[in-house]
Amino acid sequence: MENDLRPLLSVEDLTIEIAGANVVDGVSFTVAPGKVMALVGESGCGKSLTSYAMLGLLPPAARRSGGRIRLDDLDLTTLSPRDLRKARGKDISIIFQEPSASLDPLTTVGAQIAAAYRTHTKVSRTEAYAKARQMLADVGIPDPDRRLHQYPFELSGGMCQRIMISIALICNPRVLVADEPTTALDVTIQAQILDLMKKLVAERGTSIVIITHDMGVVADIADDVAVMYAGRIAEIAPVQALFHKPQHPYTALLLASVPKLTDAPKADLATIEGRVPTPDEFGAGCRFADRCPLASEKCRAEQPPLFDCGGGHRSACWHIDRMPEISEVAA
Amino acid sequence: MEDLRNVLELKDVSVHFGGRSGLFGNSGAVVKAVNGVDLEVRKAETVALVGESGCGKSTLSNTIVGLQAPNSGSVKISGEEVVGADRRKLNDIRRKVQMIFQDPALSLDPRSTIGATIGEPLLVRGIARGKALEKRVADLLTQVGLRPEHADRYPHQFSGGQRQRVVIARALALEPDLLICDEPVSALDVSVRAQILNLLVALQKRMGVSYLFVSHDLSVVRHICDRVVVMYLGRFVEIADRDSFFANPKHPYTRALMSAVPEADPIAQRSKQRFILQGELPSPANIPSGCAFHTRCPLATEICSKVRPELTRRDDGAVVACHHA
Repeated sequence: MENDLRPLLSVEDLTIEIAGANVVDGVSFTVAPGKVMALVGESGCGKSLTSYAMLGLLPPAARRSGGRIRLDDLDLTTLSPRDLRKARGKDISIIFQEPSASLDPLTTVGAQIAAAYRTHTKVSRTEAYAKARQMLADVGIPDPDRRLHQYPFELSGGMCQRIMISIALICNPRVLVADEPTTALDVTIQAQILDLMKKLVAERGTSIVIITHDMGVVADIADDVAVMYAGRIAEIAPVQALFHKPQHPYTALLLASVPKLTDAPKADLATIEGRVPTPDEFGAGCRFADRCPLASEKCRAEQPPLFDCGGGHRSACWHIDRMPEISEVAA
Repeated sequence: MEDLRNVLELKDVSVHFGGRSGLFGNSGAVVKAVNGVDLEVRKAETVALVGESGCGKSTLSNTIVGLQAPNSGSVKISGEEVVGADRRKLNDIRRKVQMIFQDPALSLDPRSTIGATIGEPLLVRGIARGKALEKRVADLLTQVGLRPEHADRYPHQFSGGQRQRVVIARALALEPDLLICDEPVSALDVSVRAQILNLLVALQKRMGVSYLFVSHDLSVVRHICDRVVVMYLGRFVEIADRDSFFANPKHPYTRALMSAVPEADPIAQRSKQRFILQGELPSPANIPSGCAFHTRCPLATEICSKVRPELTRRDDGAVVACHHA
């Protein structure tokens, strides 16, 4: 995985605290240039906080209490607010779930794209607009000359997401963070946006960190996947290994709960009983223990480290050897 | 005469908006949200209604529950005509059809206990009160997998999945014949989604309720539905039984929808034949001539922009509106 290429982005032992609870707890992963890393998990697992921390965009209540985030030689966690602003958009960019909520409703989309370019490059307004026009064409917006002068309300959701991608990529950042970029879109438009992101990775060599809860999106676009549960990484692996030989009970059950082609209609789906613990319920052991069919005394008492399963596949479970039992539960 | 096995019968239903001069001048364009649709839902059957946002599926659901009057056509719930019914009659019919929505947090009153929320329809209709009401609420809570003692709690004390169970319990309180489920699991996490789908299937087996399941998630549709209806710009373009629908989708739009849904299997997903639609859904205020889909259709020829294809029955029983499929 990362052996052949020096990682471009590395998150090391990231810990984020809200009101004394570690809602992100010792998260580490790396992303190689031109690769797509997916952070997957259910609501409240810390995947979005992890991504916001990369851009220094944590909400006021949250505090990074440990760890580093490095982009090449740049330590994003020690930058001054001024340097961080310089890095955002130029080195690392982000797009969000709801594109219409991220755009300024009172400014034309052309002006918003041009502004992003002029923040980081000394060029005239005319040059910036020319660049913006080119960018609109690159992200597949028909009739860019007309679109430049339109306002967000005149565009559809899919169109607005293309505008967000234009703003995020106009300065050619090395990393794009995409927080549920297609969740608010129709499936047909989702397919278009995912294809666009794949094309940009191929053409520009941009690395992507995509945050999603949709296993289908992961299967489509990711090279590597980190499955998060209650603030920790449960399992991290190359995409095919994760789907075909999951090594953590949570991943296996999550995959089994998605309806599949081979299921009999209306047959019972595998479920994960119970719910995700809230931060004040985090115990000393594995945070999945209360819902896990394999859980033992040890799981409740002691936090499992990420064990190496070979081939870049790692799993935080004390009972990896008992994984075949899960397939019986899930079947 | 009337087929009582059909809990829902739509005949040539159309719903149009706008087209009159309003406060801010002439609003001009007529939005044809639903255009001459026919549909039957049988007892204990689950029919999926599939399509992109703006295709008219929510307008149609609202019309069925009586929140939106159709411009023309007939809507029958368990054999009773909704269109033109007087208030008393309408009130009577409405208890036979209930609706649940995508986001359970927005469907519950944060200041009512869930016991009061679930009991309200029974109280309002004078069906039960006092001890009998308490007992019925406890029974409903058990049916949806919650506990009777939950009745005194408030919505914020529950997780998203539990709230959706509460919403389902309330919808079932009046023992409806038809439950319209508008994206009932798309706001839920994957592991919880499976719990709610299992619950809906179990309730159907137990109570014989029919579902009209509005969704864009075809893997969920494949799991839960007996028949599938695909809607595009206010019209049905394909209606088929689940098996023939998934084994042999016919309308090019259906095929595009299926290929757009990413499969949770990297090998299958990356090797499958892609058929990605270009462009976006045209505005329902300005529906293309002929077949409304011809502007995005890879099979479109001259006839498609001129003549609207009628729904016709095919060998395997599927009904499709396409000149070339």
